[in-house]
Amino acid sequence: MALWELFTIAILPYLAIAVLVLGLGYKIIYWLKAPVNLHWELFPYPRTSGEQAGELLTEVFTLRSLYMHNRRIWLPSLVMHYGIYLVVFWLLFLVVGLPLAVYLGVTGGCLVAAGSLLLFLSRLINPELRRISEPVEYLNLAFLFLLAVAGLIGGVFRDFSFRTYIISLLTLKPHLSLPDNYLFFLLLFWLFMLYIPFTRMAHFAVKYFTYHKVKWGEME
Amino acid sequence: MRKVFDDYRVLSDESLKPDEPRVEKFLQAMKKSLQKKDNWTFWLPYTLSLDTCMKCGTCAEVCPVYLASGKKDIYHPVYRSDMLRKVYKRYFTLPGRLFPALVGAEDLTEEKLNAMAENIYRCTICRRCAYVCPVAIDNGVIAREARKIFDAIDIAPDELKKNGTQKQIKFGNATGTPANAFLDMIEFLEEEIEDTKGYKVKIPVDKEGAEYLLMHNAGDYLAFAETVMGAAEVMDAAGVDWTLNSPATGVNDAVNYGVFYSDVEFTNVLKAHVETAKKMGIKTLVVGECGHAYEALKYLMLRLIPPAERPFEVKSILELEDEWIREGRIKVNPEKNPEPVTYHDSCKLGRLGGMYEEPRRILKACCQDFRELTPNREMSICCGGGSGFAIMEKGDFRKFRMETYGKLKAEQLKASGASIIALACSNCKGQFREIINYYRLPVRFAGISELIANALVR
Repeated sequence: MALWELFTIAILPYLAIAVLVLGLGYKIIYWLKAPVNLHWELFPYPRTSGEQAGELLTEVFTLRSLYMHNRRIWLPSLVMHYGIYLVVFWLLFLVVGLPLAVYLGVTGGCLVAAGSLLLFLSRLINPELRRISEPVEYLNLAFLFLLAVAGLIGGVFRDFSFRTYIISLLTLKPHLSLPDNYLFFLLLFWLFMLYIPFTRMAHFAVKYFTYHKVKWGEME
Repeated sequence: MRKVFDDYRVLSDESLKPDEPRVEKFLQAMKKSLQKKDNWTFWLPYTLSLDTCMKCGTCAEVCPVYLASGKKDIYHPVYRSDMLRKVYKRYFTLPGRLFPALVGAEDLTEEKLNAMAENIYRCTICRRCAYVCPVAIDNGVIAREARKIFDAIDIAPDELKKNGTQKQIKFGNATGTPANAFLDMIEFLEEEIEDTKGYKVKIPVDKEGAEYLLMHNAGDYLAFAETVMGAAEVMDAAGVDWTLNSPATGVNDAVNYGVFYSDVEFTNVLKAHVETAKKMGIKTLVVGECGHAYEALKYLMLRLIPPAERPFEVKSILELEDEWIREGRIKVNPEKNPEPVTYHDSCKLGRLGGMYEEPRRILKACCQDFRELTPNREMSICCGGGSGFAIMEKGDFRKFRMETYGKLKAEQLKASGASIIALACSNCKGQFREIINYYRLPVRFAGISELIANALVR
């Protein structure tokens, strides 16, 4: 086995998870330690935790802001986000051992690929979006697209036995025998995990602060 | 004045000094602005907004300037924020230092600095964009922080600083009205009420220990006296213990232009307000019809001045008027305002202040035909007078206000079919006065208090 293969299968995963957890953890603690800002709420806003949770879930699962105010990228964005949610559940279901996982994986992979491609093209074609886009915006979408396509073509998403590898990682005894066509996906996947904390793709964590601490604030 | 950004200029050459080197000073001031301890007031929304914009463009879809300009690139809210963001990335982030082209980090040049200084005064910080942003990124806070950085290197519009906050601290009001002239003005207003309404209203001034100290935007006495007289009539009809104050007591102007461009200036004015209220021993400081003054005293003050140091309540005059009408403390007859009336939600009172229902309840009680502008409330379109724009005239800036924000408001107003636009904010009044003239609309503007006074049953 080549050294890079060994690295991808058995070392990179731990490195990536460590960077992901520590990186996100660092960011979250950094912002948690922020001084309480002057009141800067926007009215109306949900006051009870129930109302806030409701609004948060609506936004997460329907991307309402885009639907209401930026419809042309709503559907591709929704497709991509649902793809990501499904891929997360694919991993969870694999760990738990539910065979349904493969359906989630394949569907999720297709949605991520379709959504990221459409968003990439929207950025490229729509002059308004193109003007505000930096190369990194395209890079992030291309990264997601490649990752999804590698998973679909390599067959990882539809392979329930991939569970063995995940479990082997969790039990700290990484399985080294994996089909060659999984390697590219794995390399991308772990690099992606490693990359998340350094990008705006960590916005899922940031939203807690922008909404709860600023837009919804805490009135006294 | 030479062009540095678009066809307009709000910053004088004396302030902007467009041909002098300022980049180094700017970067030092910006570095400070990014330090928690030096700039805690809005550090969290500021840094989050610099870091996390997803570049989806949703903000642009609701930005009055961008839309009304025919979607000119330079007025795109992200274009404006990116002027600062690119500098932030280039000088203050690792990816920006390592891969500037990839992440869009750029060196700051004197010309870019000039353009940024002007462009941050094309946004009224109405925060309509922040309301709809999926990630709640706030282009408004970025514009305001950029203004703070510029102010720290002494670049600010004369109307807001030299003739604004600094004049207010010196004279007690930004109009520069001395106490004796103020008292003459009050006497004149009492006579005016008697002449037009046929009854006498005593306007108390500088009464210590009063229940209510009503503080107007001092510009209202000169430009929108109907609002001042209307408020006096309402106070009188309610039979409450109230007073106005002259500059002899300290500050008698509710405005605080520091809200628009500087925390330092903001705090200075705010402290002067608090000192005045304490010195007069009043129970409630009533903010007249002024949007940003309400935001400053009702909300921004809370975490700046400890409760023990501000032993008085703050209310908007709209809250009291609404309360008194509902209680039956003042009686109104809507037939006295028979014309169709609509209401424009001031950004500071509405989106930033949560006061949507009070003015509507008042107008429905006082006017026979109340109708809404569309859109309204949290999606209300800024009139373009906010951020002090209403008092900025030089560099052809009035044309900018009319051709962008003003254009949208004129269309909205026409569509409503109303012949009176009710306003609760002095900046809005200043802007609508111009909009009505510029677009020759068969409409007049009126303060809320003026409409209540018209409807009073005495």
